[in-house]
Amino acid sequence: MLRKKSAHYFFFWPLVIALAVAFVLPASGVHAQDAGESVPLEVASADSATSTTSEKVNQFFNSALGSVNGVIANVLFFSVTGDALRSEKWDKKTETPIVNEETGETETEVLRFPFIVALLIFGGIFFTIILKFINLRGLKHSVDVVRGRFDDPADEGEVSHFRALTSALSATVGLGNIAGVAVAIQTGGPGAVFWMTMAGFFGMAAKFSECTLGQMYRNTNPDGTISGGPMYYLERGMKTYGTAFGFIGKALAILFAVMVMGGAFGGGNMFQSNQACEAIITAFGWEGTPAMKIGFGLLMAVSVAIVIIGGIKRIGAATSKIVPAMAAIYVIAALAVLFANFTQIPSAFASIIRQAFTDNAMFGGLIGVLIIGVTRASFSSEAGLGSASIAHSAAKTDEPVREGMVALLEPFIDTIIICNMTALVIVITGVYHDIDQTAGVALTQNAFRTVLPWFPMILAFCILLFAYSTMISWAYYGERGWIYLLDHFGEGTGLRTLIIFRIVFIFFTFVGAITSLQAVVDFSDMMILSMAFPNIIGLLILTPILLKAVNDYWRRFKSGEMQPDR
Amino acid sequence: MSWLPKQRVVAPVDMSADSVEAIRLALQLVEDPSSLHVVHVIPELSPMEPGVASGDITDETRRAHIEKQLRQKLKDEHRLEGLNIVVRVGVSHRQIVKYADEIKAELVVIAPHGRSSVANLLLGSTAERVVHNAHCPVLVVKKPRS
Repeated sequence: MLRKKSAHYFFFWPLVIALAVAFVLPASGVHAQDAGESVPLEVASADSATSTTSEKVNQFFNSALGSVNGVIANVLFFSVTGDALRSEKWDKKTETPIVNEETGETETEVLRFPFIVALLIFGGIFFTIILKFINLRGLKHSVDVVRGRFDDPADEGEVSHFRALTSALSATVGLGNIAGVAVAIQTGGPGAVFWMTMAGFFGMAAKFSECTLGQMYRNTNPDGTISGGPMYYLERGMKTYGTAFGFIGKALAILFAVMVMGGAFGGGNMFQSNQACEAIITAFGWEGTPAMKIGFGLLMAVSVAIVIIGGIKRIGAATSKIVPAMAAIYVIAALAVLFANFTQIPSAFASIIRQAFTDNAMFGGLIGVLIIGVTRASFSSEAGLGSASIAHSAAKTDEPVREGMVALLEPFIDTIIICNMTALVIVITGVYHDIDQTAGVALTQNAFRTVLPWFPMILAFCILLFAYSTMISWAYYGERGWIYLLDHFGEGTGLRTLIIFRIVFIFFTFVGAITSLQAVVDFSDMMILSMAFPNIIGLLILTPILLKAVNDYWRRFKSGEMQPDR
Repeated sequence: MSWLPKQRVVAPVDMSADSVEAIRLALQLVEDPSSLHVVHVIPELSPMEPGVASGDITDETRRAHIEKQLRQKLKDEHRLEGLNIVVRVGVSHRQIVKYADEIKAELVVIAPHGRSSVANLLLGSTAERVVHNAHCPVLVVKKPRS
């Protein structure tokens, strides 16, 4: 194809510079004081006269991540409510409020309602309503589509609907469901699970929207492969509105491409290697010495490198087949625990629902718990983040809306079903009351241990595989961002320079394993949730196009115009 | 290098206008269009590309797609027919040199820029690397200053 230098091409450099300034300026101390308080870090004691080299390495990364967190915190995570909301300060050890001795009143602190969380909530509810509860009315149809009843091998694309779903799910189902839920309950109490479920439900509509648009504006490459995802619908979709929107779309697309690389490094990589490392250490009851973590980090980094740098296609293919089996094992084990305690299920549900609204002052009250729930749900299901749209756009179909229907199932399976299973296991076994357990996944493992003492070992193995498949899937998402960005310097530049991205990715795998959970979670959350900003803004602007396509499809579906093949 | 028409000439292309110029020039040097081997190199795919992981997309399917498109494009847009079209997977300059060796090419005719100037500055061009590594004469087709 002849490379066309469109008008947008000339906007590229000014944009890159503007973005760089936007990120660097806040770092230079303008907001420094705020950054410190919003990002609690578990940095080991500073008087480290006796600390070993590995401890120093560990400390360095903890504080480096902390400062990056601070910068992004001010750009996309500013509090929409300002300082207006306050929550009570509680001592989590004694489970009592901290009372000021002089005044006799309970001490309070500012409750931040991050802009990006507000945007995710708004997006989910908006699309659910405007698409007339597609998350309910489309459910049966989407199951039919996944079963292959509407497949046509002659359609353009790479894979069947079912394959596209499993490929997106292998990036989605994983530690977000196992460790993420534990983090939600540790920081937000059982009530957070209720808000996670709600976010999962509304997230279905957001996921539907982004995957439908991903299909509509995908690019078929000369070699028959597909390039799709938010970068493409932001750029091309908005161009249909005219030059001014085309410029905004291009800006959002570039921003998304940058963010998806960040998300790949954070939630798609560091969080995974961190929690996989933690899971192994807990399962075997080892003491997590820094040296051990460095060893594990290196091992993880090498295993990821084998696939993404070594290009061993067979491993990638094998993982994508093993992961569904692992998910099944996990669900069966969770059901076993629930079955052993089935009398407690109603009361567990009751406390999840009750603590979503009341009795949750310790976790920041209703709003505080809601923020935690929504954050963790988005992290787990990726709804609204746009990442899954990259995988779904590869599906073979000439009906974009149909792939959206398939994508709808993702938050349903991931957040509504699997996350709730984990949550019930943790709540029923009561392990979350022990607040000394700070390592996320260890909590889930201990919950399973109460009923199935041998299971944590198997779980550790599952987690390792989940983490592995998520990492290589996200490496792919990040690569798409890299390719999109670098191709502005000439077609093919992205692919040719991909090795740089891959090396950085592997470096982050290593860093994730040796850094503390809190620093990793903060960094991962920010990176991965930031993707929602360009994506949801773009989706909102593209709503008219989406609505037209959905209504047309639904009308044809209801009129019986599309007959299932089998 | 003799001035007689050649039997085996390799012309690497990247689907840009410059590489079509190179093909035209190369055609003047060969006996017959079928003596001209037009080589296009596509990069390896990520192992996690959904189609690769599921086995629906292979190097073979990609090669077939590209060859068909390239043939069509050269025919429709540039009226170039009867050429040998070869699609290889890997790193551009390595595959070009390798192919030239395989067919014992007498000459490689290549356009200088595979990328924009910024990327050239940072990465060097494919043409440069082919010139360095080829085991036969290489003709770099530069455009006259307009």
